[in-house]
Amino acid sequence: MLRSIVLAAAAALASTAVHAQTLKIAVLGPMSFVQGENHWAGAEMARDEINKAGGINVGGKRMQVELIRADTNEIQSVSDATNAIERVITRDKADFLTGGFRSEAVLAMQEVAMDYKKIFLGAGAAHSKLGANVEASYERYKYWFRVTPVKDTDLVRTLFAVLNTIAQQIRTELKTDMPKVAILAEKAVWTEALIAAVQKNLPAMKMEVVGTWQPSATATDVTAELSAIDRSGAQLVFTILSGPVGISVGRQMGERNMKAVAWGINVEAQKEEFWQAAAGKAQFVSTLDTLAEVELTPKTVSFVKAFKARFKKAPTYNAGTYDAIMLLKTAIEQTGTTNADKLVPVIEKMSYVGAAAVLEFDKRHDPVWAPGKNTGIAVQWQDGKKVPFWPPNVKGMQPFKMPAR
Amino acid sequence: MLQDILVTGLVNGGVYALLAVGFSLIFGVARIVNIAHTAFYMLAAYAFYTLLVKVGLGFLASSVLAVAGVTLFSVLCYRLVIEPVREHEAAVLIATIALALIFQELMLFSFGGNYLGIPSTLEGGVRVLGVSIPYQRMLILVVAAAMLTAAWFILYRTRLGLAIRATANDLEVASLMGMNVHRIAMATVAISVALAAIAGVVVAPVFVVDPFMWLSPLVTMLAIVVLGGLGSLKGSLIGALIIGYVEAITVFAVPAGAYLKGAVALAIMVGVLLARPEGLFGVAFEEER
Amino acid sequence: MYWLRWGWAELKNEVVVLPSRTLVLAWAAALLVLPAVYDDAYVLRILTMTCIFAIFAASWDLLAGYTGQVNFGHALFFGAGAYTSALMSHKLGITPWATIWAGAAVAMLFGALVGYLCLRLRGSYLSLATLAFPLIALGLLFAFPDFSGGELGISGVRRLMLTPTANYYIASISMLAIVFGLWQLADSNFGIVLHAIRDDEVAARASGINTPRYKLTVFAVSAAAAGFAGALFAHYLRVAGPSTLEVALSFQVVIWGIFGGVATIYGPVAAVFILYPLTEWLGSFKALGELRLLIFAAIVLLVLLFMPRGLTPWVRDKIETQCPRCKQRNGAWRSVCRLCGAALKAQVAGAQRLVGHQ
Repeated sequence: MLRSIVLAAAAALASTAVHAQTLKIAVLGPMSFVQGENHWAGAEMARDEINKAGGINVGGKRMQVELIRADTNEIQSVSDATNAIERVITRDKADFLTGGFRSEAVLAMQEVAMDYKKIFLGAGAAHSKLGANVEASYERYKYWFRVTPVKDTDLVRTLFAVLNTIAQQIRTELKTDMPKVAILAEKAVWTEALIAAVQKNLPAMKMEVVGTWQPSATATDVTAELSAIDRSGAQLVFTILSGPVGISVGRQMGERNMKAVAWGINVEAQKEEFWQAAAGKAQFVSTLDTLAEVELTPKTVSFVKAFKARFKKAPTYNAGTYDAIMLLKTAIEQTGTTNADKLVPVIEKMSYVGAAAVLEFDKRHDPVWAPGKNTGIAVQWQDGKKVPFWPPNVKGMQPFKMPAR
Repeated sequence: MLQDILVTGLVNGGVYALLAVGFSLIFGVARIVNIAHTAFYMLAAYAFYTLLVKVGLGFLASSVLAVAGVTLFSVLCYRLVIEPVREHEAAVLIATIALALIFQELMLFSFGGNYLGIPSTLEGGVRVLGVSIPYQRMLILVVAAAMLTAAWFILYRTRLGLAIRATANDLEVASLMGMNVHRIAMATVAISVALAAIAGVVVAPVFVVDPFMWLSPLVTMLAIVVLGGLGSLKGSLIGALIIGYVEAITVFAVPAGAYLKGAVALAIMVGVLLARPEGLFGVAFEEER
Repeated sequence: MYWLRWGWAELKNEVVVLPSRTLVLAWAAALLVLPAVYDDAYVLRILTMTCIFAIFAASWDLLAGYTGQVNFGHALFFGAGAYTSALMSHKLGITPWATIWAGAAVAMLFGALVGYLCLRLRGSYLSLATLAFPLIALGLLFAFPDFSGGELGISGVRRLMLTPTANYYIASISMLAIVFGLWQLADSNFGIVLHAIRDDEVAARASGINTPRYKLTVFAVSAAAAGFAGALFAHYLRVAGPSTLEVALSFQVVIWGIFGGVATIYGPVAAVFILYPLTEWLGSFKALGELRLLIFAAIVLLVLLFMPRGLTPWVRDKIETQCPRCKQRNGAWRSVCRLCGAALKAQVAGAQRLVGHQ
């Protein structure tokens, strides 16, 4: 009974959405969370920039960009996410898709998007399985591209490069030959390869691994882990964290006055809200990051400035939806069509200068990691500000600091 | 390592005890399985955050207001939502689940999914037996001890406590003896939620505040209560310490298995139940007829 | 020809006379013909999910409603079915048509295990203890990531069918078959024994009923149905991940079950068919999308305040009355029982006559 009413209403809704002379891009993300907010904000920046300039030139015809905001609720429910993507494709008639965050949900959404042969530009999930799909079954998955972040195995390269720099600094400041490193990684599949790589390579890099601790990604209390790390005499805590546990680590390290300095991946520490969330205790916590007011590419500074002016906070990597849409615009204008099958080979060959990086795609449709083009950056929290300190030789970088002994 | 385990287990056990005792109390007296119990704990943390960080009141004023506000609110919820369906056990259960979901979504809507941090009430720390303990954790321990003593005092040294225990023992007889069991149930709800709210306020500065913060303590709390015996206050207290220590031992003994601490705690609960189906200190069930 | 006539007679005498049966028949028919009338991929997806969750909710009701073992960890069986079927078809390359049965079988084993562990528990103890099982399983999944895929689960699982319509038919027909089977089971002598166990286990045992065996059987059957739903879910979404074991899913099924009305089988199914599309529909509004769970919870709360026994018992009481003599159900419009001819509104009618005489 009620169901038929619901169906009728849904049908009525669909009929009002007449296909107009616009290009519809669906932004999929967990809209109640920071990730979704950034997905949407980045996409809005791109839309307004394009529309103000007269739209996208599709083979001589000007088309305005229309964004469809789709709350995937993916953090709470994977099936909600697949329902949302089905809705934007079949109901709202989206032409292109961008966004996504939780890997489990994005994998499920990828399937739906590929069923309908829609180009899906990922801007959030790091798992390499997404790209492996493209390589394994190209004809089906070729419509998937990951714009950001670089895949998990490439993150290691940046992590090691920065680690070397920091270790050098520890050697000179603490006058030790073999800095002691504690690995603090959340228990998750994506950290496995990273942990193995760190454990294997650190001795060769003249560092000593004193232990590996693996709390749950959602742990709120890491005092037990931290006291054990304290006891081990580690000088550097190598963090591999994506969940809220990153906040607890930052805060509780500060509260315990730990002398060790944290470097690694700490997704929460990439967010503007991190300092407040850690109650101002996370001094000198450092992490891999994507965007800052430094000249990674000629577009970075102006994008970050405009973003900050408009949304009153700094963008996270999820604002990569901006690059995704701008890249799409370039590809469409090059080919003069919105046909997905014609666009895919063009995007594959592109070298696009985005706000966060110079984007080129490999055969898995993952962004290519390359120094000077796409490496990500390293940032450190210093007195409430997120300060970029790596890569060197980029305008705007500042020195890395360590807790006083 | 031993001293780490001793101290960490004690502090965590104290927080769990605050939650578990309140939950056990309301189950014992009113036979309500209050899934929303830790949701009130979350509400208190948010209220505390708002008053302290957004409004800018002092620590004392914010904590008192937050606890009082959440307690009053819980009594209101009880009157409006739980009491009308008290006769139907299933309906009460789902009503508390729905309440918890409503609170979660309201907080998600008004504060977003961001993690919020609350400044410590007390800065600094002390080293005990070579373990560094921040003062905030000492405070938690002290508050937990004080509150549990206060709850014990109310229950065993006042007329209200006598009435509560009588109702818990036999609702019908208590009612026949002329006690206003509805009012006693309400008082129990207030005491129980007040304990949860106090836990929320003292713990918030240590943990992060977010709309889903009620789920993981909920599971731990349920494990403790079942382990100790439903409705038994002593059982909840001892259960809380057991679980606190089990978690600490897991983390320290198997560093790479720290994520398993929840699962180990739950497995221990199941193990205890297999040996003693009524929990450690629960009263063996009369076959209810 | 005989069957046709028999069918017609059954329809006329057994189904149309009762509005609830008519509704069920109309609903089942509507489900089956829908794709022919309104072939929309989005609607079919929502309904496919609805059907899968309806199996899940009905299986919970058999356990919780009939024997009173209110399971707070029903997601364990859903997850067991999903993971088993996904792993077998993905790693061993067995056709999903076979593995969904394997998923149901493994879930059944889990059901028997949990049932065995919980035999001596009752009431709230059982509820709270069962909550632990999916979480322990979750811990184990994270401990063996090579096997389980950790936080990502198993992805790229093979599909049962390719087109949305075919998938829809698989889900809806399995749902109708399983729900009807569970309902028959619950309505049989077996179900009556379950009622007896819930209402008074001691008396049931005193009557010579082997209650542990019944309780174990129910756990196993219920778990098998839930596992089947989980397996369908995994092959439909092509992902079997940790979200199939989360507390939220366990709570969700409790809400569906109690909202619809326990110990009915059809109640939880009706609840899923109302609540799932409703929340999804709310989610399609830009302004309401992020509030859908809030509205969902508020609706559940409000409905319960007015219908504390659940939705379907309330509706059924409105449209049907019970014969005071033979306890058979009748349409609310009838004045005499359709089977024994007793007056249905005797007292009311008598009162009116009195008024008339004065």
